[in-house]
Amino acid sequence: MFLTRLKSGKIITGAESGIIGAALILVILFTLSSDSFLTQYNLFNLTRTQSLYIFVALSQAVMLATGNMNLSVGAIAGLTAVIFGYSVDTLDLGWPLALLIALGVALLAGAFNGFVMTVLGVNSFIVSLSTLFIFTGFVYGISEGYSYREIPADFVRIGRGNFLGLPYLFYLMVGTLIAVWYMFRYTVFGRQVLATGSNLEAAKLSGINTGRIIMGANLLSAFFAGVGGLLWVSRLGSAQPAIGQNWLLISFAVAIIGGTALAGGRITAIGLFCGGLIMVLIKNGLILVQANVYFEQAFLGSIILLTILLDRAREVWSRKAGKS
Amino acid sequence: MTLELRNISKSFPGVRALDDVSVTFKPGEVHALLGENGAGKSTLIKAICGIQRADQGTISLEGVPLNLSSLKDGMRHGITIVNQEIQVFSESSVAENIMIDKLEKYRSFGGISWKRLNADALEYLELVGLEIDPETPIGGLSAAQKQLVQIAKALSSKATVILFDEPTSSITANEVTKLFEVIEDLKAKGYTLIFVSHKLEEVLEICDQVTVLRDGRHVGTRCISELDKETIIELMIGRKIQIENFARLDTDPDDLVLKAKELSSKGLFENASFDLRRGEILGFYGLVGSGRTELAKTIIGHFPVSAGALSVHGRDVKIRSVADCIKVHNIGYVSENRKEDGLFLDFDIETNMTMAIWKKIQHPVTRAINMTEQRNVANGLMTALDVRATGIDQRVGNLSGGNQQKISIAKWLAANCDILIIDEPSVGVDIGAKAMIHKLIWDLAKVEKKSIILISSDMPEMISLASRILVFKEKRITGVVPGIAEPGQTYDTLSRGIGRLMA
Repeated sequence: MFLTRLKSGKIITGAESGIIGAALILVILFTLSSDSFLTQYNLFNLTRTQSLYIFVALSQAVMLATGNMNLSVGAIAGLTAVIFGYSVDTLDLGWPLALLIALGVALLAGAFNGFVMTVLGVNSFIVSLSTLFIFTGFVYGISEGYSYREIPADFVRIGRGNFLGLPYLFYLMVGTLIAVWYMFRYTVFGRQVLATGSNLEAAKLSGINTGRIIMGANLLSAFFAGVGGLLWVSRLGSAQPAIGQNWLLISFAVAIIGGTALAGGRITAIGLFCGGLIMVLIKNGLILVQANVYFEQAFLGSIILLTILLDRAREVWSRKAGKS
Repeated sequence: MTLELRNISKSFPGVRALDDVSVTFKPGEVHALLGENGAGKSTLIKAICGIQRADQGTISLEGVPLNLSSLKDGMRHGITIVNQEIQVFSESSVAENIMIDKLEKYRSFGGISWKRLNADALEYLELVGLEIDPETPIGGLSAAQKQLVQIAKALSSKATVILFDEPTSSITANEVTKLFEVIEDLKAKGYTLIFVSHKLEEVLEICDQVTVLRDGRHVGTRCISELDKETIIELMIGRKIQIENFARLDTDPDDLVLKAKELSSKGLFENASFDLRRGEILGFYGLVGSGRTELAKTIIGHFPVSAGALSVHGRDVKIRSVADCIKVHNIGYVSENRKEDGLFLDFDIETNMTMAIWKKIQHPVTRAINMTEQRNVANGLMTALDVRATGIDQRVGNLSGGNQQKISIAKWLAANCDILIIDEPSVGVDIGAKAMIHKLIWDLAKVEKKSIILISSDMPEMISLASRILVFKEKRITGVVPGIAEPGQTYDTLSRGIGRLMA
């Protein structure tokens, strides 16, 4: 029963099995080639970075699913981090309150993006490119380039602590991914997001309020970016304005490697999980093989391109097979 | 030049798309290529113009075997296709569009000699009878004009074999006449012309030879003089179909579900007044752009109302959005462009059918859509509408046109819409499926008591189905003709009546 369902592609689709396979191969490769790979310390570190990457990727993937993008995810993360730091450090607020304020600001930023996209009807690329600079301006305007170091120990524990050898962040990530899986598989909102991304006009004529869906995706994107930013603060133990600066590449890379369709209409939680894993393994691997770290971005860029090409090949192939 | 196909075969995984097809296309003839959807027409077209290679067989031009590897390669040998989807560079001029593949010929001093290029383009424009300035930007031209430009482009590339793929699907009747004049002219000049269309009247009017494909096999090539519509249909579907006569729909003129009073939407249509009775099929007849689709899309809240009033079930309403229209008023719209704005081609049948009812079948607490319910609804509709597919999880993009149309209709049946607006239901659908869709629409009105607005530019379809027909011309309703089931009405009186209102 389970096997036939598995074969029918209902549980794991063709695209997903490719990503899972790639992740497995990398894990096996690393286990065989390095003694230090399967140590508890290394696993803790890898899964913690993976978890952070997943939040970064989710912030992009939910927008990609609607057929749009959000170039400002890193800036929103930075803004959230700085607002949080300012609240706990300068204003001496309790961290739970500061957290709410910071996430509130993130949502405001997302709402602004969504407003310009849906109400004013500007292309998402242009909107988020502009707000990338606007939000970054606020990050440096508020912090004046300094980090906030007085971060409460309770809060830092979230990013540094572990349970059964795995970081708290790992459990948070798994929980979030399950929620995302549930949302896109079972809820009306999730399905309408995919419909909007797959065919905007058809979605409109099917009575889907596509403006509201895209607004919702923007809020969700900003929420994930905000959470990602705060977790980064928790892990670093300080709220640095530089948080989010390298997110553009990571967010697209993990989302795309994880099987999110650039044209919209497809997102997969298990794919994102593997995408995040592949990303950390490759980064880890580059260090192991002693690749020149200055060239790191070139490697990562090539991997994104390769993933897109593979996806494209799969599309062409399945179109050929499906046509009479 | 004579284009000869010998024993062409082509297979795709699981399907034999072409099976040993041999046809000869002679110069100075218009040769129709006919077949239901899936008969192998498109595969054969692709093989002829080089888009896709056949597995076996030879294609030769004037006895010289060709081995085409691409569309461009085909064009080099003088074989060109004029598509149904007209592709142009809309920012460029007409002349540039004609000469875009030959720009290097007009190089002078490192630039382009526009004077020479425009003069040459003008010559080809005259050949196709298009009286426009070659420097006009092409974006503003009508679909028919763009098509003529496409033909001019083919001629300028020294094409000798021209394939017309559904050339009349998006142009008006007058423009068809003009296009046919051009085709006649090309025929007299000795071009080899291949004509692919679903509209048999046109085939009978313009073509000399007819080749029919069925299930990838060559059924026969006949001279047009030996054929009439019924024989062609018989060849295409392999069985004689009865032109269905639908009975009169009994409606009560006082039982109105929808009433529009002097409704206008700025720039789209003006002063539309009509009423729709329960269980009736009300026809909107008119050419593309005459305001019929625009009126429909205004009723469902897609375009804004600028003046006038609309009432649903006797109550004045203001429909603000499509969502509003579906949820509150139970009006569904089946789009004329199934593939562009009707269906989600990448999604499965189940998702496409149940999209409009997700909100109704979600769990109040977990917010989850009830998957069992969704499956049952989809399975029920599959059976009810006789959708031919491997199952509800098949991708809609892989289905035939007729089945896709059924799924577009199914979406609104699932949502329990009692008013359905069905726009061009049989465009791009083969003849067998067309009859089934007509039966389905009629049954919805008769048995289910759905009130239907049928939009169509297919006269026989309109006359055989509609209880009353509103005629649209230049953004206005010019009049109404009764249904064919009314006493004293025949196909001829009605088509003449419609013709008068459109003149």
